[in-house]
Amino acid sequence: MTGRRKHIAARICVSTLAISLALVVSAPAIAAEIGISVGAPVQVAIGQDVEVKAVLSQDGVPVEGAEVALTYQASWAGESSRVELATATTDEAGVAVMTYQQRADDNREMQVVYLGPDTEPVAPYVFTIAVEAGGEQLYVNQSGVEIPFVNGTLVILVIATVWFLIALAAVYLVRVGRAGRSLDAPIAEKGSMWISALLASAAVFTAIGMVIVFVRAPVSNTDVTDPDRYDRTPIVYLDGTYPYVGFGLQDESVAQTGDPVQDGSALYFKYGCAACHGIRGQGAAVGPTLRDELGSFGSFKEDVREGPRGMPGYEDVTISDENMQKIYQYLKDGG
Amino acid sequence: MDRASGRFCHMDTMTNWRERLIAKTTRPTLVTTYKYWLWLGFLIVIVGNGVFQYSKQWQNGLIVTDMRDRISWGLYISAFVFFIGISHAGTLISAILRVSKATWRAPITRVAEFITAVSLVVGAAFVLIDMGRPDRIFNVFRYGRWQSPIMWDVMAITTYLTASVIYLYAPMIPDLGLFRDRLVNKVGAIRNFLYRTLALNWYAAPPQVRFLGKAITIMMLIIMPIAVSVHTVVSWIFSMTLRAGWNTSIFGVLFVAGAIFSGVATLILVMAILRRIYHWEEYLTQKHFLYLGYLLAAFGAFMIYVNINEYLTEGFKIEEAGEFAFRQLFVEDFAVMFWFYIIGGLIGPIVLMLIPKTRTIAGVVVAAILVDIAMFLERYFIVVTGLRVPLMPYEPASYAPTFVEWSIFVAGLALFALLLTVAVKIFPMLAVWEMTEEHERRLAMGLGGEPHPLDDDGALSVATTNDGTGPERVDEGGAS
Repeated sequence: MTGRRKHIAARICVSTLAISLALVVSAPAIAAEIGISVGAPVQVAIGQDVEVKAVLSQDGVPVEGAEVALTYQASWAGESSRVELATATTDEAGVAVMTYQQRADDNREMQVVYLGPDTEPVAPYVFTIAVEAGGEQLYVNQSGVEIPFVNGTLVILVIATVWFLIALAAVYLVRVGRAGRSLDAPIAEKGSMWISALLASAAVFTAIGMVIVFVRAPVSNTDVTDPDRYDRTPIVYLDGTYPYVGFGLQDESVAQTGDPVQDGSALYFKYGCAACHGIRGQGAAVGPTLRDELGSFGSFKEDVREGPRGMPGYEDVTISDENMQKIYQYLKDGG
Repeated sequence: MDRASGRFCHMDTMTNWRERLIAKTTRPTLVTTYKYWLWLGFLIVIVGNGVFQYSKQWQNGLIVTDMRDRISWGLYISAFVFFIGISHAGTLISAILRVSKATWRAPITRVAEFITAVSLVVGAAFVLIDMGRPDRIFNVFRYGRWQSPIMWDVMAITTYLTASVIYLYAPMIPDLGLFRDRLVNKVGAIRNFLYRTLALNWYAAPPQVRFLGKAITIMMLIIMPIAVSVHTVVSWIFSMTLRAGWNTSIFGVLFVAGAIFSGVATLILVMAILRRIYHWEEYLTQKHFLYLGYLLAAFGAFMIYVNINEYLTEGFKIEEAGEFAFRQLFVEDFAVMFWFYIIGGLIGPIVLMLIPKTRTIAGVVVAAILVDIAMFLERYFIVVTGLRVPLMPYEPASYAPTFVEWSIFVAGLALFALLLTVAVKIFPMLAVWEMTEEHERRLAMGLGGEPHPLDDDGALSVATTNDGTGPERVDEGGAS
């Protein structure tokens, strides 16, 4: 009996050891970080559909069912944030394919970031996709109804007809003068018909000028169909297809960096102060400047709470005293 | 033929009548009293003050006005709309009455056409005056985009100005020929040169009459749609926006009707002044004033209709911003102007023409003065109240024209009078050939010298003016 017990005990020990050993050996493998590698084109043109492939693996094993996002850095008015271009889930080979249409004329610091399901932090894969200079303006005006034959050509025809008739009348006046010259007139000074010729040529000249202004008008300024004529500014084009994450201003943590000026900057945008007072507090069409005329914090606070003139008042449930202090610091700092 | 015998019978009367008419027409050119120079000097001083005040604006910018970011159009744009409006006098009287062959128009067409050309020049000047950077005016042509209603306006006014200058000039050629022949030794070298040049060798040769007839026919037909388009496009500058008070489809009708309304009123005033100064009672009779007065009353009634149509439809379904627009117009800041416009300017002329006692030249002139003031006020409150409605929750702005603005506005009125005053000294202000022809036909038909609007054989024709032996009648042929 004792021998048999010992045998069982030994078996348990061995099993325990083996399990422990297995655990010890396999533990580093479980803790190993997910690696992201990305395949993407080096350079793309505006308007091009771009495919970005991300491969996720862990210790050489493909990671299936992981969610990843393709983002790039957008900035506006001194604020900067990541904009999500596409998301995808990896297949059994650990591959996630994301496509987006190139809209911005500059991709600042693209990343493929790991979104889940693990909560362990995963280092994003950082890369760049260069954008070719020039390219096509992607904005297309979709409002309005196109009616066949009712367009600019018709208007040009109407204007041309009117001016043709005006010029015709002026030409008839020239003929009045010519008819008089050919007759034997005692008093009339021969050949004095230049005034009507002047009138006629002025009418013709103005007519041609008007039609030219009309015809060349679309290319004279802000032509959205001709990229060479259109002075592109670095604009981020966003619409429903591309979820705009925003600058994250609703996130409380952006205003808790510890630097009151930095925090105030975020809060100044968050509460919409910039909409009326300008993006740096310099004042604009509606709101006065907040730079030079900024008094004490007390009077500042009183104004914000009450809302002088057309400005809405902000109660302390909206802007706490602490946050208002930060905005004040930001403005004191020069906006 | 009846006509030939009729003309023969009345030949002596006709010649006398015509000589008297020529004497009356050339009188302003030949006789200049000290009163004329006083009046001219007075106008020049006022225009000069306007130029001086404008030089301040040129140097300092629009800050010398009371226009600011919220109310950015004021007295200048009101004056622009007003002057473009009164330019419709010439079109209506001349083209519409010429096409409809209303023969009583003959003595008043020339004055009307001059008002058109002069007020267009003054009106267009106010657009330049309103510009903060007048040096950028050519950007309109360099960078103009036809998507902008402002460009439509540039187009329409350029077309109208060109067309109305030709329309003023063409029917004046026979009269200029008359002046050239009759005044050859009586006026100075400059005016002699002017008549010689402008008369285009006119001595009523048949081809000349034919070509002139064609030119006049083309212009009288084409100038009507142009004139209507001009003030419609002016109204679109306002109604192509979403502002409360401006955002309405009736503005085109309101502006065109108002333009003709104020144009007729201005014509009455100018006619009354010229009649008094140059004793043209024989030609500008009480009947002309009464007919124009009836026209005024009819357009007053039409304006009342348009106003009710506009304010009832807008007011019935009143929107948030519309409420503000209505309150300031009907009961608050602009109520006095608005109700003067309705009662004095629209109802007033109708009442004056309805009461037999005021159905006189004086009554018509009073009505015309009321209409001109009311129509200017209407332009003013349309411009300013539309801009005053706040688009965001801010305090409504206020606007009161500064001394500079008033000076320039008054100078505009003075410039209008000045240009007409100078024109009177140079050009035939009565359409001698049209009136002669009309008178001749009356005599031929055995009627009195006074033409009656209801009888007209409808022929468009041009009388000759140069031979002094009496008028020849030449049918225009082909173009009518």
